[in-house]
Amino acid sequence: MFALQVARRYMLSNPSQTLLLIAGVALGVTVFVFITALIAGLAIRLTDQVTGNSAHISLEPPTRVARVLTGPDLPVESVALVSTFQRQQIRDWPMVVELLRSNPDVSAISTQISGSAFLVKSEAVTAVSIIGVDPQGIDAISQITPNIMDGNGDLGADGLLIGVRMAENLGLSAGQSILLRTERGVERQLTVKGVFSTGLQSLDERVAFMSLQTARPLFVLPQGVTNIEVKLKDPEDARATARFLAEATGLRATPWQEKNLSLEDALQAQGQTGTLIQIFSLISIIIGVASALVLSAYRRRGEVGIMRAFGVPGGFILWVFLLQGLLIGLIGGLIGCATGYGLCVWLEGITRVDGVPALPIAPAQGGYVAALVLTTLGAVIASILPARSASKVDPLEAIQQ
Amino acid sequence: MTRVLEATGIEKVFRNGDEETRVLNGIDLTLDKGELVALLGASGSGKSTLLSIIGLLLRPTAGSLTISGERVDRLSERERARFRNRRLGFVFQFHHLLPDFTAMENVAFPAAAPAGGISRVMRDRARDLLTRVGLEDRIDFPATRLSGGQKQRVAIARALMNRPDLIIADEPTGNLDRESADRVLDLMREVNREDGGTFMICTHDEGVAARCSRRLTLIDGQLASNVSGTVDAL
Repeated sequence: MFALQVARRYMLSNPSQTLLLIAGVALGVTVFVFITALIAGLAIRLTDQVTGNSAHISLEPPTRVARVLTGPDLPVESVALVSTFQRQQIRDWPMVVELLRSNPDVSAISTQISGSAFLVKSEAVTAVSIIGVDPQGIDAISQITPNIMDGNGDLGADGLLIGVRMAENLGLSAGQSILLRTERGVERQLTVKGVFSTGLQSLDERVAFMSLQTARPLFVLPQGVTNIEVKLKDPEDARATARFLAEATGLRATPWQEKNLSLEDALQAQGQTGTLIQIFSLISIIIGVASALVLSAYRRRGEVGIMRAFGVPGGFILWVFLLQGLLIGLIGGLIGCATGYGLCVWLEGITRVDGVPALPIAPAQGGYVAALVLTTLGAVIASILPARSASKVDPLEAIQQ
Repeated sequence: MTRVLEATGIEKVFRNGDEETRVLNGIDLTLDKGELVALLGASGSGKSTLLSIIGLLLRPTAGSLTISGERVDRLSERERARFRNRRLGFVFQFHHLLPDFTAMENVAFPAAAPAGGISRVMRDRARDLLTRVGLEDRIDFPATRLSGGQKQRVAIARALMNRPDLIIADEPTGNLDRESADRVLDLMREVNREDGGTFMICTHDEGVAARCSRRLTLIDGQLASNVSGTVDAL
């Protein structure tokens, strides 16, 4: 294609200007890639922190609502009171577990009896959230036993695992016994079998684990469970899977996003900020390319005029300038993608003392295809104005100049 | 004799607001194949305007223009560009070579741009033309490394590339020293004599006009004289 040869020749005729222009585009793309990778990395880190030690979906019995009763024998409006004698429970949990096991998106399941209680040691009393779990599956949702720093994870018939902050508050250590009083008013003496430290304040300060069998009499639930916690292979599938499970089981299925609305807002705001920075990078690229090509087209008015005089079609001249924009965008975009990737990999390698990367960056998610396509497209769009103006140069005016 | 150009009643009026300037006033003119015609006139006489109209770079206000049997004054811009490319050749006072291209590429350009590339045939013709204008040792030289006279000879070769019916030259020797100017003029005469190329040369140099086969003189936008025969012949 002759127009491409001419465009290439024009670019090579002033190498320093062309190099500066490509460098400008590459810099813009590097910023684009860096910001995209940083925002993706930040989102991944925050999501991991939230979902790493908690369930992606919680299945609970549907909320009980007082029903309004109507009928000819009821002269005044009446309501059926909700019984609070026994906790709501999932009676047919084995069927639900079977359904979950057959779902390929599910990676872990934990049937639980959860409830509130008080731990009493001498004069000290502290509120605690009790989670009764299958001892074999204690780590299905949260990594408890790998994080035990005192004692062991063997729950046994009267064992209790507590967090390190709670142990500090009550002055407890592994092997000591403590009185537990549940919301149902049932009391029992238990033994602290282990003290764990997950690094999550909510777990380490307020949660205690016991076996499901220990929890049953304490919460007066001889058969059912209060909730089923589910982990998915991809936490992002939580909303869709929760909808499916709610329909399939009739239970209340809450995805992790709904339990962490502030995180979702933060991620959204972060994403919007990133998009703004990306748009400004792109605009600066377009302005840079357009201004350089406008100058180039103006400088070459005489040459273009003479081409027009000997009958070179306007379309050919249009292509010459559009192709310059395309080449600048493509080359600058490729260099920018490579530089951006290199920068992200380098930054990812810089770690803190604990081995965690200093910047939460995800080099694989730099939006390279989008960066390349948008930059090339932007550079072509930027070249439209100078290309059109060049293709309409009046040959006579150019010759007379 | 084949008629190359027939202009009838050509008028050109430039308007600037309410002000009108009549530059050409009813020019009737014919050119036959193989003629080498000089167009003379003082500055402001309208010779460059007439040349631009004949070169389809400017539209006449009135009159008709036929080149190689085709009525061209009513063509669209696109058709005029195509006609210029295929039927007309241009040599300007300033060579207007493309500085980023070699002598050969400059010569081939008018054929290559519409065709989408320089074919072997185009390359061979460009080389032949450069050899013909005495630049066989400068074929692959960048245009910027040629002297003023060499550049003008490349411009003549470029004008001949598409085998035009009419070559329009506007002060082709105006920027050259005497020796280079003679060489350029000799070249045009040679092409005229040997290939039957038709030239219309706009000049105010009597020496150039004296070596043309016919001399047209414009005074105040009107054709004042039309004299045939070179000084040598006369």
